[in-house]
Amino acid sequence: MMDANEREVYRAAIHGDREAFEMIIRTQSRPLFAIAYGILQNREEAEDAVQDTLVKAWKSHWRVRDPEKFPAWLCMIARHRARDVFRKRRPVSISEIPETVESEPTDTTIIDRQLHSALASLPEIHRAAISLRYFEEIDYATIENRLGLSNGSLRGILGRALATMRKQLKPALASEQP
Amino acid sequence: MTIHDEIDNYLAADLHNELSEDEQNALHSHLVECADCRKIHQETKIMNKVLEEKFTNEKPDSAFEQRLLAGFRNRISNRPGTIAKFIVDLMRLRATQIAAVAAVLLALVQVGRLITGEGPRSLRNREYDVREEFAQRSASISHGRNASDPKAKKTEQEGGANFADTYRKDDITRLGVRTPTDLILKVPASAGAGRSQYATKNAATAPAQEKGESTPENDDEKMVAAAPPEPQTEASPAAAAVLGNRKLIRNATVELEIVSFDQAVQKITAFASEEKGYIATTSSEKQENGKLKGEIVVKVLPENLDRFLQKIRGLGELKNQTLGTDDITKSYFDTEARLKNARMMESRLIDMLKKKSDDINDLLQVEKELGRVREQIEQMQGELKFWDSQVQFATVTISLAEKDLEAAAKYLLKERAQLALYTPEVEKVYNDLKGLASPKVQITNAQLDRDNTGRVSAKVSMLIAPEESEGVIAKAKAMGRVENFQVQTERVAQGGEEMSENATTKRDKVELNITISRDEQEQAFQETSLRIRTSSVDEKAKKLRDLAEKQNGRVRNSSFSRDPDGREYANVSLRVPMKNYNALMQSLDSLGKVENVSVQRQDRSGGQIDEANAPADLSIQVYSQGNIVSSDTGLIATLRRTIAQSAGAIMWSLRMIGVAIAFLAPWIAAIVGGIWILRRIRNRRS
Repeated sequence: MMDANEREVYRAAIHGDREAFEMIIRTQSRPLFAIAYGILQNREEAEDAVQDTLVKAWKSHWRVRDPEKFPAWLCMIARHRARDVFRKRRPVSISEIPETVESEPTDTTIIDRQLHSALASLPEIHRAAISLRYFEEIDYATIENRLGLSNGSLRGILGRALATMRKQLKPALASEQP
Repeated sequence: MTIHDEIDNYLAADLHNELSEDEQNALHSHLVECADCRKIHQETKIMNKVLEEKFTNEKPDSAFEQRLLAGFRNRISNRPGTIAKFIVDLMRLRATQIAAVAAVLLALVQVGRLITGEGPRSLRNREYDVREEFAQRSASISHGRNASDPKAKKTEQEGGANFADTYRKDDITRLGVRTPTDLILKVPASAGAGRSQYATKNAATAPAQEKGESTPENDDEKMVAAAPPEPQTEASPAAAAVLGNRKLIRNATVELEIVSFDQAVQKITAFASEEKGYIATTSSEKQENGKLKGEIVVKVLPENLDRFLQKIRGLGELKNQTLGTDDITKSYFDTEARLKNARMMESRLIDMLKKKSDDINDLLQVEKELGRVREQIEQMQGELKFWDSQVQFATVTISLAEKDLEAAAKYLLKERAQLALYTPEVEKVYNDLKGLASPKVQITNAQLDRDNTGRVSAKVSMLIAPEESEGVIAKAKAMGRVENFQVQTERVAQGGEEMSENATTKRDKVELNITISRDEQEQAFQETSLRIRTSSVDEKAKKLRDLAEKQNGRVRNSSFSRDPDGREYANVSLRVPMKNYNALMQSLDSLGKVENVSVQRQDRSGGQIDEANAPADLSIQVYSQGNIVSSDTGLIATLRRTIAQSAGAIMWSLRMIGVAIAFLAPWIAAIVGGIWILRRIRNRRS
């Protein structure tokens, strides 16, 4: 599952080794970003969320016992953090997002916008899974581990997510299709 | 589930390279067959591509990690561990956590005990009592050597150390241990580390005490060592000489049962002269039954005493023998010495007289003194002579008694008769009995009692000449119903206590005590109890009374009651003459179902009883069935009780939970509050 070297790094981080933790920041922040982005659909916010996640993880690193569970735990914090941010910005976002999108009315942005709304309509866990997959191209087993999903359930989640989006984007895609 | 149904999942997994080889093959062969799926496949592919494009655009730039790291370093200062960090690190250790939990639990338990006030106080008191008791006991064992120790019982620890100390000293004295190192070893293991430390401290002072104590002990040993030679001198060959000088008075008493008194006296006289002794006194006494008993005092030489006693034993049955020796050596020689002094005094006084003083007064005084001294001398001489005679001859006192000494001379036959009569007319019988008086029938006591309820009873006692007794008793019996008649005959021996064949027997006057009472008080000859079950209790009880009256019976008491279950009871007690008993019993069947019949018959011994007229008691309970299930049994009642009990149990456990919460709540609140504050502090700092 996890090689010995990796485990050693996690163990050190759990025990408060700052260098090990910074090492983890280097390797794990992109998956964390993927998750946060999946939920928030906004890069700046996602980055802030990851930043918060890391700080929070460092402060409460002693709560984890098993190095194996450390990445999953990080992901969990990131999800919670992102959800918090999402909830807080909710009232503002509706008026804000179309504006920014409308500023560049190109052909790609139409699809982009539709894609955006299609993604937003997915359940949170689907978004997180998709962004993990497409950002980092991580294999299914690892994604399941990170998101705390049971073995083999990711295939169904991604299949459904893709199908939903495919149905929603059908007209837009048809126009793009040569 | 076919691939067709799950085409979305398969397609997605295929695009993400997550299908196994078999699945891939299966998917591809399905796509060849199914046009719909092919279409979806195409669309999904596009979808995938769009997504890939989108996310590649959105990917964080290469400086992303650096930014995050910088931000992280900014927010988390790199200063080395503060106290808070140390505490946090400490909390990470499982041992610390367990210890903390244990400490919290312990604290809770202690607080709980403090609140309820039951556990610790009584426990400590008991412990203290035991210690105190032990300390006192050990103090008393060590003969108060440590009892005066001012430190005793001051505090528990000191008290404990103190008793350990006394214990140790006991061991020293008992076992004779001398070295201080041994002393420490003697401290009981239970005394613990603290106490042994105390003991070590005391050990330094102990040897000094030991020296002081050992001196009397050594003296004792010397004395014991010196003691043994004493008995040895006594056992030496010189003993015989000492014994020879001794003045011993030997006495013996013998009690014998012999066949013939005279013969025995003759034989004893012969034995006495054989042993160079003599008969000092004899006395004899004739008993009422012709037997003789007496006492003979024989004086024999002390050295022959044992042989003489041996001979006497052959005379008859030895009942008792004592042999005593009185050592008068000391007082004998004392008296002898005093006698010598008195003699010297006498001669000096005589010398004084010879000087012929002129003063008459002086002369008189000397004469007076001389008289006193001479009196003393005579007294002492007499005493010595008496002792000499006593020592010279041993005294044997023989008590003789002929066999069957206790046999009775004659017997008196005493007859005592008790008669209890029941009659309706007490006074008439009483007067009739008094009318029996004649020279041969003597009325010793007659009384008529009437108590405040109007009941009359009488007692008559008479003494009847033996020849008249039977006739008078028969007459008395005829006057009423005999409840009890008892005759006691006693043979009184006169002039002795034991049986004798040829003693005469004489009849004495017969004592007759008669008690007369009205027949209501008479105890029933037969008691019957039964139950009659019927539906109408009241009516049947009335009918029962009618029946009883028909059979010449009387209702003694009756009662009626109804219990909570609706059952009715009528209790009736009746008395009928025995002759009507059976008829009544049969008529009872008409009242209802007769149950639980129990008959108790009192067969009286020693009296002729008029059975036909003897009273028979019946106690009859007439009752109705009532409710089958009483109000306090049955399903509802049981349910009610069960619910009540379980409600009680729940209330009890609620109370317990409440108590537990009362114990825990403040602590939990404190702990949570503490953690919250700690976290706030840490958050602010970061």
